[in-house]
Amino acid sequence: MMLLKAVVYATLAYLLIPLVVIILFSFNAEQSFSFPINGYSLRWYALIFEDPQLGQALVKSLMIATATAIVTLVLGTAASLAWLRLGRFGRSVLEILCITPIALPGLFLGVSLLVLAAQLGVRLSTVTIVVSHVVLSVPMLMIAMRARLALFDRTLEEASRDLGASQIGTFKRITLPLIAPTLISCAILSFALSFDEFVVTSFVAGTETTLPMYIWSMMRRTVTPLINSVSTLALLFSIAVMAIGFFVGRFKRASALSERASS
Amino acid sequence: MTPSQRTGGILAAPAATYMLLFFVVPAILLFSYSFWISSGFRIVPDFVLTNYISAIRSPLFLRVTYNAIVIGLVTASVTLCLSIPVGYYLTYVARSKIIFYLILVTWFSSYLVRIYAWRTLLGTNGLLNAVLLQLGIVDTPVQAFLFSPFAVAITLTHIYLPFAILMVVSAMSEIKAELIEASRDLGTSALGAFFRVVAPNAAQGLIGAFMLTFILVAGDYVTPQMVGGSSGQTTGLLIADQFRKTGNWPLGAAQAFLMFLVSLVIYALVLALGRLTGLIPARRKTKPAREVA
Repeated sequence: MMLLKAVVYATLAYLLIPLVVIILFSFNAEQSFSFPINGYSLRWYALIFEDPQLGQALVKSLMIATATAIVTLVLGTAASLAWLRLGRFGRSVLEILCITPIALPGLFLGVSLLVLAAQLGVRLSTVTIVVSHVVLSVPMLMIAMRARLALFDRTLEEASRDLGASQIGTFKRITLPLIAPTLISCAILSFALSFDEFVVTSFVAGTETTLPMYIWSMMRRTVTPLINSVSTLALLFSIAVMAIGFFVGRFKRASALSERASS
Repeated sequence: MTPSQRTGGILAAPAATYMLLFFVVPAILLFSYSFWISSGFRIVPDFVLTNYISAIRSPLFLRVTYNAIVIGLVTASVTLCLSIPVGYYLTYVARSKIIFYLILVTWFSSYLVRIYAWRTLLGTNGLLNAVLLQLGIVDTPVQAFLFSPFAVAITLTHIYLPFAILMVVSAMSEIKAELIEASRDLGTSALGAFFRVVAPNAAQGLIGAFMLTFILVAGDYVTPQMVGGSSGQTTGLLIADQFRKTGNWPLGAAQAFLMFLVSLVIYALVLALGRLTGLIPARRKTKPAREVA
């Protein structure tokens, strides 16, 4: 048992140390990676604000991530409602279409979308980036929703209809409150996924530059501690978005449950 | 078809159409590209096997594919070997929320940042060398850490491990703790209980985690490019370059499907190996168990 615990903690250390090192060195006063750190400063953070291209890339990434989250939410909500109603065959077709991409390398999805765009003569732009990000985030949403929907009690909908509620009324008062928490946290997760996506983006972006693509060009050009500070901010942002996603999911679910208990 | 199923069909249409248009159609198009030819700057529809033949005949392709298979197998094995104890610990020993969230945090932390982190850790002026020098273990910085298959494997394991752990946790959480206790009461050792109770019941999830890691690692092209040097190149990078630099898209498409074929072969081998060693129960045994679940 001690051995098991040791392995678990060693694995955790392996996962976390690289991230901690990046965060630590982003506050390093010196340019080198010498240890121990001699002094701390915020100079690499100040540099971020002197780089206008970085700001543009950030805004572009935020826009793309928002659009991705909205499209994923719309498609995902409809698909989740469909999943509840479809028979065994319909469900498997929907699952094969909407989950398979998660088991394929981004490279494969990226080049196949590039080939499609070239064949149709579509210019690569922000739109093609959003289209590709939705292909990546729908599978994530479907996996999370399938686990949630397996617990969904369809008799609740039937009871509501029997008691005289309209189809829309049932959807608003029964179905939506039950699936909304998972849907919203999935939408936030697809925002985070899109914000960080690089592999597929690099094929379908054309001349557009998202934040990961800008970080990539920085990484290839030089080794500057500026990358550490940008990375740290990107990291904290992803963690914050993820935390909000989970928090909203839990809070909504908890409040929905307590509401049902009190009424 | 019931009215409810008809509504379901209508509701499924947008997502299904979307994935059909932007996932299935592009994949089929890429597959047909692999039979087309690139002449000059144009790509001409055709039906030839030239691309596949020239891919297989290229020593570079064979070398990087060999690299990809080795790095893929090593990474997937190490990933599985680490995610099993962590998954087991999280499922049966301590349902630690903190550990779970820390794993989620690493999963959602930026892909590029993690590659960059390993580059700074393993580089000549990197942290690992700095520590080794200061401790007096080595006299000159070790060059071999970075730009090697080792660097690629350690970085890729870091990237795909969180996801593998989550898959293993979800596979194990379906096995009741009572089953393990019962087997321990009947005199099996802890390891024995793992191999006879946990592994066969979680086989699908464990193989899923292994294969998913293998496929994603073999298709990763950013990590080899950043930390692989010339000895750590993989097929993914070669394919990516066909679409970014050289411009022979049909050849790139053929290489991509050859890699896909390699993944299928590996999958078949892993299944066969599992059956042979008895870790995967025969099909008829797992089926009813899944129906109940």
